[in-house]
Amino acid sequence: MKRKFVAKFAAIAAAGALSLAMTACDSSGGGDTGEDDGGSAGTSDIRVGLAYDIGGRGDRSFNDSAYRGLQRVEDELGISDIQDIEPSEGESDSDKENRLTLMAEEGYNVIIGVGYAYAEPMRNVAPEFPDVHFAIVDDEIDDVDNITSLVFSEEQASFLAGAAAALKTEEDHVGFIGGVETPLIHKFEAGYVAGVAEINPDIEVEVQYLTQPPDMGGFQDPARGQSAAEGQLDAGADVIYHAAGASGNGVLEAVVDREAMFIGVDSDQYQNASDEQKPYVVTSAVKGVDTAVFDFVQSVADGEAQSGVQRFDLATGGVDYTTSNEEQIGDIQERLDELKQRIIDGEIEVPTEP
Amino acid sequence: MTRTMEQTAPRTAPPSRLGGLWRRWRGLGIAAAVLAAFAALSAVRAFTGQNPLTDSGTVQATLAFAVPIAMAGLGGLWAERAGIVNIGLEGMMVFGTWFGAYAAWVTGDPWLGLAAGVLGGVFGGLIHALATVTFGVDHIVSGVAINILAVGAMRYLSILFFQEAPGGGASQSPQLPGFPRISLPFVADVLGPLQQQRIFLVSDLAGLVIGLTTGMSVITLLAILLVPASYLILWKTPFGLRLRSCGENPDAAESLGVPVYRYKYLAVLVSGGLAGLGGVFLAMVASNIYQEGQTNGRGYIGLAAMIFGNWRPGGLAMGAGLFGYTDALQVRGATAAVHALLLLIAIALVAAAVVQWLRGRRTAAVVALALAVVLGVWFAFTDTLPRELVTYSPHIATLLVMALATQRLRAPAAVGRQWRPRGGS
Repeated sequence: MKRKFVAKFAAIAAAGALSLAMTACDSSGGGDTGEDDGGSAGTSDIRVGLAYDIGGRGDRSFNDSAYRGLQRVEDELGISDIQDIEPSEGESDSDKENRLTLMAEEGYNVIIGVGYAYAEPMRNVAPEFPDVHFAIVDDEIDDVDNITSLVFSEEQASFLAGAAAALKTEEDHVGFIGGVETPLIHKFEAGYVAGVAEINPDIEVEVQYLTQPPDMGGFQDPARGQSAAEGQLDAGADVIYHAAGASGNGVLEAVVDREAMFIGVDSDQYQNASDEQKPYVVTSAVKGVDTAVFDFVQSVADGEAQSGVQRFDLATGGVDYTTSNEEQIGDIQERLDELKQRIIDGEIEVPTEP
Repeated sequence: MTRTMEQTAPRTAPPSRLGGLWRRWRGLGIAAAVLAAFAALSAVRAFTGQNPLTDSGTVQATLAFAVPIAMAGLGGLWAERAGIVNIGLEGMMVFGTWFGAYAAWVTGDPWLGLAAGVLGGVFGGLIHALATVTFGVDHIVSGVAINILAVGAMRYLSILFFQEAPGGGASQSPQLPGFPRISLPFVADVLGPLQQQRIFLVSDLAGLVIGLTTGMSVITLLAILLVPASYLILWKTPFGLRLRSCGENPDAAESLGVPVYRYKYLAVLVSGGLAGLGGVFLAMVASNIYQEGQTNGRGYIGLAAMIFGNWRPGGLAMGAGLFGYTDALQVRGATAAVHALLLLIAIALVAAAVVQWLRGRRTAAVVALALAVVLGVWFAFTDTLPRELVTYSPHIATLLVMALATQRLRAPAAVGRQWRPRGGS
């Protein structure tokens, strides 16, 4: 009797913990505007399906950026048959497979999975539907013919963020806060650290991750973000860059409290900040998921579907830094643009691993 | 699982004179142990030069991490003392974060947010009480259902109310107002320089005092006061005795005229309210936003803290504090300080070895000593710990202390059982 109770308790507690771990949210997103104007095709036989990662529409970041891309598809390409589907809390890979399969069977011929969580499900589903154009954001799959990988050179934008931090710091001490220590977030860290060193190798960089995988809670725990930021500020840092998704709200709060400086990520966080917070947001390293989604659909509409790995970097405008806080960025913009050009020209190799 | 470790035989009572002595000096003994631990910590700080170990920022972060865990733990304590297992604390915390955030955002008044958040938690408690007490649903099943329900329902409400708000979204609220923070005047000015001197014990005490008296949110203070308040209510009043009797032996309680159902309901409602308060703290003190998933398992850790504390408020607070302290150290980036903790643990193990030896448990003493040597060597020959390990240092520290403190955990006897009144038959 007792043992049964204990077993049940353990099983259900484990299930609860698991489902919690899966409330993970991807920390990537974009706010960059696209550069080209499609407008030509308007092919009516294209149906676009977009499957979100955990978080779904309304996260003001990654998923919303994908949605903006979808809206541009509707407005500029005249494709009206579009559908976006929200994930459910704590779903498994097989739920994602079912979702992709369902969309393909319903006749959607362009299907985009937003976030690396879709990598395995898509790899399993795509070969069954050779006529459907699949795309995955944030993961590289190069061995399936009908999957296009939309990946970003986050390290390049992070390099500029690091350079900005190094130019802005008065204490020669800056910080980086990552949400979860995954290879994706390592790219942000590596670029940032290299950018700081480019300006001044003597500047000290604090690096902190909020959680370790498989605990993805670090992307949605503002309290943890705030404490980590306070720790770095107490240690003497005065500029903090984060790649921690929604935990970044806590980072921003701590920075504003101490009147330090903040560098945002994914979308232009100056635009999202409240009036009281805006002055402290130096810049943001943005990632144009919207552009990537739009370009992919356009390529299909034009009959020249992209394939393989599509990389979005500084050269294509897929990643960038923002200049909306003119007061803060004004005096360093020239320097940053120069660095940006050198990266585009290949003079600077930005590392992707710390 | 600790729950199976209930004693079947009554504890052999110590001789009455010794027992009386122990009772009289118990408070002093605990105080001495705490002081000794602090002195050891201070010594390690002085020896390794890892000042983050005891500085005021660490103390404040410890409070920020410990309070939500302690509130969930207190919630668990109230429910389990009345015989109801409450694994739904996580969900009740989620209710607290959302309703607190919504009310505070709409009215701009954090106090209304506090009230709404606590009521949200009470609402979760009401569901649990209805299911477990009235309908006799298995406590675990009901609790897990509440956890799942809370996440989904709050997302639905977020889409309804936060989606269109500036700065809001389907998974987060706009920025929220904060609670007033209070400081004792002059303390930071007077003790600040002292903290910078890095003197053994003195600077550490200064750091502790500054951390506890500067910029503390009134909610933190309220939460801290709730721990002794729970002790006084549950152990020093007839009301508390009756409530606990429902968790130990509801049949006996009923036969003495205690309205068992009413007490169980009340206990679970208070439990939910405390979890809701923990949620409000997370959304409006530790951060300033409602974020889906921000409770991140703290409700479960609160339950663990309660078991750690042997279903007592003081022990629970110590468990939450220990977890919060280690977590604060590592999240604030003091990985070298976490490394220094190895030395502290080694010292604690040596102390434990001595105690065990004196008690005649030679094997345990030798094992503890061997572990101490291993840790000491590890400390001496490394400069840092792997980041993957550091992240889990709170969990490891808690496990270690549980293994070391050879206390005999004892859950309330009738916890988790469905109970029906026998009156009349």
